[in-house]
Amino acid sequence: MRRAALGRDPTLVATLVVLWSLLALFVVYPMVVLLGRAFVDEGAPSLGPLLSVVGDPHHRKAFVNSLLLAMLVGVFGTLLGLLFAFAATRASLPRSWLSAFDAITLLPLISPPFTTSIAIIFSFGPRGLITHDLLGLTGTSAYGLPTTLLSETLTYFPIAYLTLKPVLASIDPNVEDMAYSLGASRRRVFWTVTLPLAVPGLANAFLLLFAASLADFATPLILAGNAFPVLPTQAFLQITGLFDFKGGAVLSFALLVPAAVVYLLQRHWVARSHYVTVTGKVGPQSGYKGTTPLVRGLIVVGCVLVALVVLYFYALLLFASLVKAFGADNAFTLAHYYAIFSEGWRAIRDTLIIAAIGMPLGGLFGVVVGTLIARRDFPGRDALEIVTMINYALPGTIVGIAYLIAFNDPPIALTGGAAIIVACYVFRYSPTGIRATVAQLQQIDPSIEEASQSLGARSGETFRRVTLPLVLPAFFAGLGVVFIRSMTAISATIFLVSISWTLITVRILENMTELSLGPAAAFSVFVVLAVFAVTAGVSTLLRRLKAPGTAPISVFGT
Amino acid sequence: MTRAFRRTIGAIALGGALLAATTASSAELNAYSIWPENWARPMLVEFQNQTGIKVNFLRFSSGEALARIIAEKNNPRVDVLFGGPVETFGAGAKEGVFEAYKPPAFAVLAPRFKHADGQWVAIADDPLVFMTNAKFLADNKLQPPQSWADLLHPAYKNGLQMADARTSGTAVTRIFSVLEVNGRDETKAFDYLKRLRGNVQLYTKSGGGGTLPVGLGQAAGGIFFIVDALDTKAKGYDVAISFPKEGIGTAAEGIAMIKGAKNPDSAKKLIDWASSPAMQSLFALHKINFVPAHPEVKTEPSLAAVLKDAKIFPIDDAYAGANRKRIVERWVAEVLPGN
Repeated sequence: MRRAALGRDPTLVATLVVLWSLLALFVVYPMVVLLGRAFVDEGAPSLGPLLSVVGDPHHRKAFVNSLLLAMLVGVFGTLLGLLFAFAATRASLPRSWLSAFDAITLLPLISPPFTTSIAIIFSFGPRGLITHDLLGLTGTSAYGLPTTLLSETLTYFPIAYLTLKPVLASIDPNVEDMAYSLGASRRRVFWTVTLPLAVPGLANAFLLLFAASLADFATPLILAGNAFPVLPTQAFLQITGLFDFKGGAVLSFALLVPAAVVYLLQRHWVARSHYVTVTGKVGPQSGYKGTTPLVRGLIVVGCVLVALVVLYFYALLLFASLVKAFGADNAFTLAHYYAIFSEGWRAIRDTLIIAAIGMPLGGLFGVVVGTLIARRDFPGRDALEIVTMINYALPGTIVGIAYLIAFNDPPIALTGGAAIIVACYVFRYSPTGIRATVAQLQQIDPSIEEASQSLGARSGETFRRVTLPLVLPAFFAGLGVVFIRSMTAISATIFLVSISWTLITVRILENMTELSLGPAAAFSVFVVLAVFAVTAGVSTLLRRLKAPGTAPISVFGT
Repeated sequence: MTRAFRRTIGAIALGGALLAATTASSAELNAYSIWPENWARPMLVEFQNQTGIKVNFLRFSSGEALARIIAEKNNPRVDVLFGGPVETFGAGAKEGVFEAYKPPAFAVLAPRFKHADGQWVAIADDPLVFMTNAKFLADNKLQPPQSWADLLHPAYKNGLQMADARTSGTAVTRIFSVLEVNGRDETKAFDYLKRLRGNVQLYTKSGGGGTLPVGLGQAAGGIFFIVDALDTKAKGYDVAISFPKEGIGTAAEGIAMIKGAKNPDSAKKLIDWASSPAMQSLFALHKINFVPAHPEVKTEPSLAAVLKDAKIFPIDDAYAGANRKRIVERWVAEVLPGN
């Protein structure tokens, strides 16, 4: 009934028309305009602007630096993620320890991505709390590659942890047991069994971190300094300070190439990672033997150290939000919190309104596209899947600049409104909902829906009464992601704020780049608490709604 | 699925309605403020209390604000550009984005505090200063810098912070100061700027962005507007403020109505108020260290004491406005990349 049903199923046709129109407008069109700006010079196609970037030593240096930083963040973040994932799945730690690790690794995920950079400015450098006060070092600098790397690694390693934990958990210990009973040493089992099985997951984690670092202009804006210019920050300053759309478009394109390569590699690895679970269901645990007490001890010590560093940075942030002037006047005050709820109220209100509009739209979009991809066969299905992923896969800086260029002037002038910010969230963050829907539906037998259809229900009714209840968890996951991103993301939306609509994250960055550290810290604490509350709520809901026998869904969509 | 779409459309309509509700209203005023929130908010709140006109404002560094106003020329989103150094207003006047308006105070303002045709008027005066960390000076047995050349001292290597000319008017005022002390000889001025680059650790997005690191001692020093520098000192950070003997620029802080403003009456009221003693006498009250532009408002005594022996010259708005774009581009091309 499937493909043949296209002509007889007006709902499906109408849905596809609407989806493709939206995707054409909010995904394809901005990218085409961006490429047009970068490659059309005075009406004629030209490589001139691109060559001028390649020829500029400063830009070339920034490009190389960006790749170096992203590479290092990928390596160190994946290693930290592996450490935590190993501790969580292989070190037989008590439950309370695992919950504590989970809670601490959650912190960077639910705060704006540059929050640790304030704490780093206090901690390193000639008068830093760590380098000077604790270690007595002189001649250090708070700016440059080391501190930027530290900040980004601590911010993004939880993504690697969340990616690697299920991968390690799904490796059947019985496979490792078999190796032991065949006489292999622990080390040999780790290198020849466990690690190879985890490789697709490791590659995936590395690429996710690489892309996250490539998109981050805010951390280097604060920490990189003149010695270590990076491309996203240069593109940001070029656009925001000079409104140099052409220059910004060309710099964005330079970022787009590695991002696209990474995305293609990632698709390759993700596709392979499906083969990891060789035996399907994980057999009964026979007790993991892969770690000696010494190795276990080292892993736990490593995790505790990293967790302490993360906690230290957030404690510093909390402290900065509660004192008059950090480092000069450490008297307790609630003035910064008063300020964010009075002066900063508009940003909070705007953010919540935009999140409230974006959440149901993003959730619905994810579920509709996910259902179509998982359940229906129609011409252009693969194309639909790929196009919905574009805005998600690209660094936010590129998406933001593309939206600004595409929607700043007629025929489609949207800048200045809330709609453009909502659209940015919906089309950038719905892939989490899409993938959750697909994953959910793959675990549910399609015969349930076919039964509904053969009893005479049309596709709309079947969707509403059968499929929708089944995909409700994915809907809420999509909703949660849009909320978290509305509160924490900045790389795309900073280009889209206006006099009428502003966002908390943009206020935080603005406060930080001025001199109002207290409000920046207070805003950050507020965001962490709000997102933590909503994440906890959505997670509880997801556990309630989880159909028996299906895999749990994470709101972080990694 | 049709119902789902009806809901989607409903949600979009709701969003649109919310949008319309927040943008349409009568006694309102939209402004881009170049002054940081700390300075702009108390002033604009007072204005709102005194006139009942609701002010929406968004803070941008001056390069950003100017770029936005130029980009929005055909469909202006704000009525007023509030605060910010004179070079930004000179450049805006050159781009034709302002509507001339002469407030009552126009007649009494000194010539350098107004555009002859009323494209902009000044609401304050703001000199640049050198600000250095006192502990850094003591550790390196240095005096606070007394000359532009002092900033080239090797002790400051990779230790200074100052603003990025792409975004910040503080930076542009600084560059025009260097041009003036070099007799507007661009070759000499850029030669100095390039040498200074070697001692700069970070060009910040906002003019005041480096004050906190200098206050904390994470940076050795920098060049800032006095309003930001004195605020850092007032917060308790141990910093020294000094002036170069060759002189340093001061920027008239301007206000202007945007051409095509949607609320011109409210915009004029704000310009009237901000250019009069009504606002400028509030500086001292709120401990904001701007020098008043209106001749009837006295400079607060402690601020006057800091400025007493300093050699300060005004930045010429016509020269700066005409050359701003070119000078910034040259700075981006020649100074920013370093060697």
